Amino acid sequence: MVKISIDPITRLEGHGKIEIFLNSDGDVQNTYLQIPELRGFEKFCEGRPVEELPRIVPRICGV
Amino acid sequence: MAKPKLALYWAAACGGCDVAVLDTNEKILDIANLVDIVFWPIAVDFKYHHVRAMANKSIDLCLFNGAIRSTEQEEIAKLLREKSKVMVAFGACACFGGIPALANFTSRADILQRVYQEAPSNSNEQKTVPLLKTKVTEGELDLPELFDTVLTLEQVVPVEYFVPGCPPPVDLILKLVDLYATGKLPPVGAVIASDKTLCDECDRTKEEKKITRFYRPHEIITDPKKCLLEQGIICCGPATRGGCGMRCVKANMPCRGCFGPPAGVIDQGAKMLSAIASIYQGDGTEAINRMVEEVVDPAGTFYRFGMADSMLKRKRLQKT
Amino acid sequence: MKTARRIPLLKKMLSQFGIEDERIRLDWVSASEGDRFATIVNEMTEQVRKLGPFSGNGGGKNG
Repeated sequence: MVKISIDPITRLEGHGKIEIFLNSDGDVQNTYLQIPELRGFEKFCEGRPVEELPRIVPRICGV
Repeated sequence: MAKPKLALYWAAACGGCDVAVLDTNEKILDIANLVDIVFWPIAVDFKYHHVRAMANKSIDLCLFNGAIRSTEQEEIAKLLREKSKVMVAFGACACFGGIPALANFTSRADILQRVYQEAPSNSNEQKTVPLLKTKVTEGELDLPELFDTVLTLEQVVPVEYFVPGCPPPVDLILKLVDLYATGKLPPVGAVIASDKTLCDECDRTKEEKKITRFYRPHEIITDPKKCLLEQGIICCGPATRGGCGMRCVKANMPCRGCFGPPAGVIDQGAKMLSAIASIYQGDGTEAINRMVEEVVDPAGTFYRFGMADSMLKRKRLQKT
Repeated sequence: MKTARRIPLLKKMLSQFGIEDERIRLDWVSASEGDRFATIVNEMTEQVRKLGPFSGNGGGKNG
């Protein structure tokens, strides 16, 4: 099976890659989108004062 | 005469630095006329294989934003370093670790646990976690490995210049472009900002007075003309490099240090802790204990943007 | 008396870094109290030795 990688995906915010598997006829057998990043806001915001959260979480996405 | 080649990349980032470059508005057209943009995922469709095919040192200037916390981010940092003549750590994350470096208070295992198993907003009945290699019917998929510790760009590759800020202000971005275009870049290692502290450029009145307590913002209405620290609001100005135009303080918000430490200061958080202890008035045990109580999150406030760049770098994990 | 204010705040901050209180000690010794200085240094050395090296390194990618 032939694998085509689109890496990185572009013109959007964030990181992603797409793997396309082609069968022997050259048709798409299956496609997978993967997100190869994780920063962990869900965890490191714990323990921060509540009034600081509106200054931390906008850094999830700057677009 | 070929135009110089410009590359921009984002590692553990939010896109804000890339948007900041776009915020130069019509000047982006001048930039686009001045250079050939050969890699910039937010705006153009070049892929990693295009970069791999470039000759070494064929990229003239690389603006690299985002912190390093995965094998892929480290790999692309090294790839771009190899292909670029000049590497700029662009934005607080690449310079100091930034907000993503708050993850240095925790570990990869705890992050994966929280995000994939515990977070109440997730629906993950099968308790799937991301794996380095995943077998699917058609073949195999792979993902980069996450680090426990978030690193700055300079901790991974040599860097020529630093543009701090979260994000860098438009006027500093244009200053960098101008210095580059006119061949007037400062000596290698320079931070493209002020050498003084934010306090030096802040226009609020300072009376050199001591305070007897710290307030959280819901506990006090502040006077917009007076120094925030002198009113009991913790502001990181004394330990932060200037050059941002005091944009937070102008909005009545205390500085949180996104420009990193001022020239000559090795550890921003330690400097800030010292400033806090200095401005407080109160010498008895009771007063000192009260002060310690009133500073609710010292590490997270004094190292908000600079965990990766600090002397301690991260929380010590328990030996398992 | 800035030191008297700095040290308790430093201990609170260092506890957020997983660094134990016992690794820092604040004491006041004058130049003429040689014996007392030696005692304090020995006590502290023993205390830190019992605690052992920091768990998890401070600079690498993993821990």
